Amino acid sequence: MKLTLKVWRQKNKQDKGQFETYQVSDVSKDMSFLEMFDVLNERLINEGKEPIAFDHDCREGICGMCSMYINGRAHGPWDQTTTCQLHMRAYNDGDTIVVEPWRASAFPVIKDLTVDRNAFDRIIQAGGYISVNTGNAVDANAIPIEKHDADLAFAAAACIGCGACVAACKNSSAMLFTSAKVSQLALLPQGHPERATRAADMVMQMDKEGFGSCTNTGACEAECPKGISISNIARMNRELFSAGFTK
Amino acid sequence: MKWSQFFSTSIGKKLLVGATGFFLCTFLIVHLAGNLSLMKQDGGEAFNLYADFMGHNPLIQTLAWGLKVVILIHAFLAIQLTIRNQAARPVKYAVKPGNSTSSWYSRQMAVMGSILFIFLVIHLANFWWAMHYGDIPSSTYNGKQVGDLYTVVWTAFENIGLVVLYIAGMIALSFHLIHGFKSAMQTFGFNHPKYNGMINFVGLWLFGIVIPVLFAVIPVYIYYKQIA
Repeated sequence: MKLTLKVWRQKNKQDKGQFETYQVSDVSKDMSFLEMFDVLNERLINEGKEPIAFDHDCREGICGMCSMYINGRAHGPWDQTTTCQLHMRAYNDGDTIVVEPWRASAFPVIKDLTVDRNAFDRIIQAGGYISVNTGNAVDANAIPIEKHDADLAFAAAACIGCGACVAACKNSSAMLFTSAKVSQLALLPQGHPERATRAADMVMQMDKEGFGSCTNTGACEAECPKGISISNIARMNRELFSAGFTK
Repeated sequence: MKWSQFFSTSIGKKLLVGATGFFLCTFLIVHLAGNLSLMKQDGGEAFNLYADFMGHNPLIQTLAWGLKVVILIHAFLAIQLTIRNQAARPVKYAVKPGNSTSSWYSRQMAVMGSILFIFLVIHLANFWWAMHYGDIPSSTYNGKQVGDLYTVVWTAFENIGLVVLYIAGMIALSFHLIHGFKSAMQTFGFNHPKYNGMINFVGLWLFGIVIPVLFAVIPVYIYYKQIA
């Protein structure tokens, strides 16, 4: 396959940045999207040019590092797929592909397609933890948890924190991420001691980071590579109301 | 968590937008029930008596001023949140997803809301202002003299331009409420597989279709009756 790539290039946070066009030939349908970038980068290095910076780590769809906005879609056209798991068979010979970084004031571009997602870490630090007494580990089966709640908590915990929800949202809202983290702990007994303060602290930190507010369009849920449901957002709202009205 | 902290969060503000929106939805039902009497073949008796009751009952009058305050709170907070949302993405994407990840009307709440606000100003100037401060004819029913708003309305809708404007306003209302009702429910935290179907049904059919269509039918009906 021969492809035309239009890739966002930006030297650093201060640089204005612009699109550069690259022709890539001999692209195999079996390559992953990131492998296609590896091939292009090798060529750029051989030509003595600056390779394209992009985030990646596990390349197995579980680490949440890859973060490309491809032809108007976070992580490309496939549902519930990270960029590293997107394969070139999604494209046809002669296609033009536009690749942009996540766009949000809370996710400033570090270089090219790499963005700073520390804002997510600060939201977690604000309340995404539980208190654990030191000493021997408690037997895993000592606390009975209803299967339904355990499943919901597990589904929320599948969030890999990639930021596709922010990238896909027209308001750059981090509600899906924050609500998944609030939910996975609110649903389990271990998360109950800090339940009210957690929701309040994490929501206030989320607002402080400069993410937009949620208008319930559902774009985050549609683009989430882990299929996190917006029912988590409703749960976080309930958690915040109980903190706001009773604490 | 202090009240001031709660209501300064984006979710606290959204709760107020949703709650005021919900209040406006209930108002629409009452307003529509009264308006339907415009189509009653009684020379305007039912409608004029209803309009007189609404215009002079102290409880209704208090609610009416409350309603105006609610509209302003709804609009003010929504504008504040929209400005914040715009600022959250200073550099826009070169390629946008279109309707592949969300419905177009869910993304255009501010546009629909602005159209509705303009519609509301024109609507109030036409009828509310005329009823309260204008010089309108009067009718007498069972010895009681009341303002003849019925005639004012019937005369106004002889103008096809105004009829078209009202239909456009109701289209904006329809799309604003199809998303608005469902969205407010989600903001309130009502999201449950057992009830989501019902919430979507009420939002789409009652607030998105039945209410705006019935509102729009009235000017169309009057226009055709007048030219017939």
